[in-house]
Amino acid sequence: MHLPFRSKKVLRSLATVAVVGMAALGLAACSNGDSQAKAGSATSGTVNWWGWTPTNSDEAKEFIAAFNKKYPKITVKFKLIGISDYQATMRPALASNGGPDVFDLQPGAYVQQFGSYAEDLAPTAKDALGADWKSKISKIAVNGLTAKGKLAALPIGSSYAGSLWVNNDLFSKYNLKPPTTLDEWKQVCKTFQQNNVGCFAQGAAQEGFDQDTLQAISNSVEPGYWTKASKGEKKWDDPVIVKTLSIWKELFTSGIMQEGALGAQQYPDINNAFLTGKYAMVMMGSWYTQYATQDAMTQAIGAAGVSGAKPFPILPIQFPDVANKGNTSEMFGDADYGLAVASKSKNRAAAETFVKWMATSKAGQQVVADRLDTTATLNGISPDFNKIKFVDPALQSGPVNDYLKKTASIDEPRFALLNADIENAFLAAAQSVAGGSATPEKAAQTLQQAAEAAKAANG
Amino acid sequence: MTSTERVRSTTTFASGGGQNGRPRRGLRLTAPGLPWILPALILSVGLIYYCIGYTGFLSTLNWDGASPERESVGLRNYSSIAVDPVFWKAITHTVVFFIVTFAVQTILGLVFATLMHSKIKLGVIYKVIVFVPVVLAPAIMAPVFRQLFAANGQFNWVLEHLGLGALAQPWIGQESTALPVIMVITIWQWTGLTFVLYYAAMSQIDQSLIEAARIDGAGNLRVLASIIWPGVRGTTVALGILGAIGALKTFDVPWLVTIAGPNNATQFLGTYIYQMTIQRAHVGYGAALSIILLVVALVMAIVLQAAARERKEVR
Repeated sequence: MHLPFRSKKVLRSLATVAVVGMAALGLAACSNGDSQAKAGSATSGTVNWWGWTPTNSDEAKEFIAAFNKKYPKITVKFKLIGISDYQATMRPALASNGGPDVFDLQPGAYVQQFGSYAEDLAPTAKDALGADWKSKISKIAVNGLTAKGKLAALPIGSSYAGSLWVNNDLFSKYNLKPPTTLDEWKQVCKTFQQNNVGCFAQGAAQEGFDQDTLQAISNSVEPGYWTKASKGEKKWDDPVIVKTLSIWKELFTSGIMQEGALGAQQYPDINNAFLTGKYAMVMMGSWYTQYATQDAMTQAIGAAGVSGAKPFPILPIQFPDVANKGNTSEMFGDADYGLAVASKSKNRAAAETFVKWMATSKAGQQVVADRLDTTATLNGISPDFNKIKFVDPALQSGPVNDYLKKTASIDEPRFALLNADIENAFLAAAQSVAGGSATPEKAAQTLQQAAEAAKAANG
Repeated sequence: MTSTERVRSTTTFASGGGQNGRPRRGLRLTAPGLPWILPALILSVGLIYYCIGYTGFLSTLNWDGASPERESVGLRNYSSIAVDPVFWKAITHTVVFFIVTFAVQTILGLVFATLMHSKIKLGVIYKVIVFVPVVLAPAIMAPVFRQLFAANGQFNWVLEHLGLGALAQPWIGQESTALPVIMVITIWQWTGLTFVLYYAAMSQIDQSLIEAARIDGAGNLRVLASIIWPGVRGTTVALGILGAIGALKTFDVPWLVTIAGPNNATQFLGTYIYQMTIQRAHVGYGAALSIILLVVALVMAIVLQAAARERKEVR
């Protein structure tokens, strides 16, 4: 054999060096050298914050600017990652040494999947708010971000679902009142359709929003049953859920739900359609409060592709009593997002300073509250309505204020009790019933089987 | 050493020419070539085969991809896949998708290529029009198709204005029509490639054969069936293999247009692997699906190659 080296010995030596080098590289890559990394300075440095929210980069800039008034030597860089790419992006990023210092977490699947990469922030909360810190932050938000005894993220804002938002101009134009029952809802939709106006729209291709509507219907059938089933205390194939799925189906067959809903996504399809006045009602939660304001509404309509956008007043309404049982369909929710500090961060101290200021300081929480995107999680902080400009203050300030006050007493979680498998099962049940490939009974049975399988797989 | 001498020296060395000056046979890969291919070898073995092996290892785990705890479950992921209805749905969709898209693309590509060889006016413009979809990224076109095939989209608008309003459907919003829409988009996108390859293959056919057939009284269809079609068989086989592998790898169009729905109506192996691995954090299960995908792709390529070779030998 002819070799380009003077002797086999040289070749062997080179091969040995190469193998040892590669092994060393591999070991270096696999080793967790950063576990011993220093925390850095608490008052200076650069903090890289990655998240899917705030989706409006101006909002993040506003938070950072307010933070920098107190901590000018900490530079916070926000990187927006689309929610559909969030899991795919964060998994390798958090496992590597080049990931973020601070990252968004949502109750439920995200906490379960990424909580192991986060520092326990309970000591930080205790340091900021004292030993009774739990009594000073929204309980439901803290619970949703806690897993295996660790507070994986400090809640920044809460969001609540189970309500509808209506385009008040369209309701006024056709002299209609927001529906309170299923029959009224059908009648309202009939009138809108007769006038070639879309009535209610939902992106039923996405599980989160289908789940919101199903939970709202279920709360009309039997308040609280959905939460009990989510905890495993009740069955998903119970007549309550069968009835829930039957009403869901009726939304499609009675002309309430828009045609083609199963192929539509809530964002951007339905959000854009509602904001451009094509539909009169939409299934959105407390995060939609921001669009009651002139600035955010104008900006959102422009983003939806309308030039010379003219904002219109929107109002929150209670989900109708679709089961006709006289039950009030209460809202549900949890932390919209919390901020976690990455265990691998080399700037943990500065990162903690930022998260602590955002979550536990009155100044930080006031900025959050005033944006109306999420509701503040620190008790006693509410939006400053002297600063906020509604599209139609006389019409909107009362209902919006009442709506936000109501959220303070909500105790049913939205995502916190669920994992990705069961959320996927909700989507399958919702779509198979609406599409006609399964009866409500069959879909409820499949849902129960999926819940049992998910419990076995995820513990 | 002059450059000529250096070339000579290299040639002698690379060919492995012995001291007796007797040349070695052909361009056989011999040991002296090893240093030259070593970087590529390390790269391919390191990046591809190592990853395949590692995926095989992951497929024996119950792991969320993040937790330090990895539970070894042997072949349980594979046995779960065997009874997973969504997996079988994805396989069925892949088979139907391949058959339909390959057949339609082949017919359209062949027809376009034949027409373009007929010296039609503005041929260059037509070629560009047919080929342009190939270079457009699915991510760019997906929102367009979502809008086009929405319940209140332009396709239904056209149908209504043609007096065919009864045919209007929420195309991507119902299980029965979502997969056909995905196939239509794929055909629109890839027919240009089929056309270009057939066009090039037809240029290789001996014109005298066609002229002789014409003299013998063969019509257009006869020439197409008896001369052109057999003449481009190699291209058809290559397109078949590419199409089959492409069908197995289908991800972007169903994911971007329908999110693999509604109710898994446009679920493919690629989309299911993504859902299980990334969204639902079942990395072991997703890895097992990937290994199955690899095996199916290999078997399909081998079968198609063997079938093509067999036919050649029979001829």
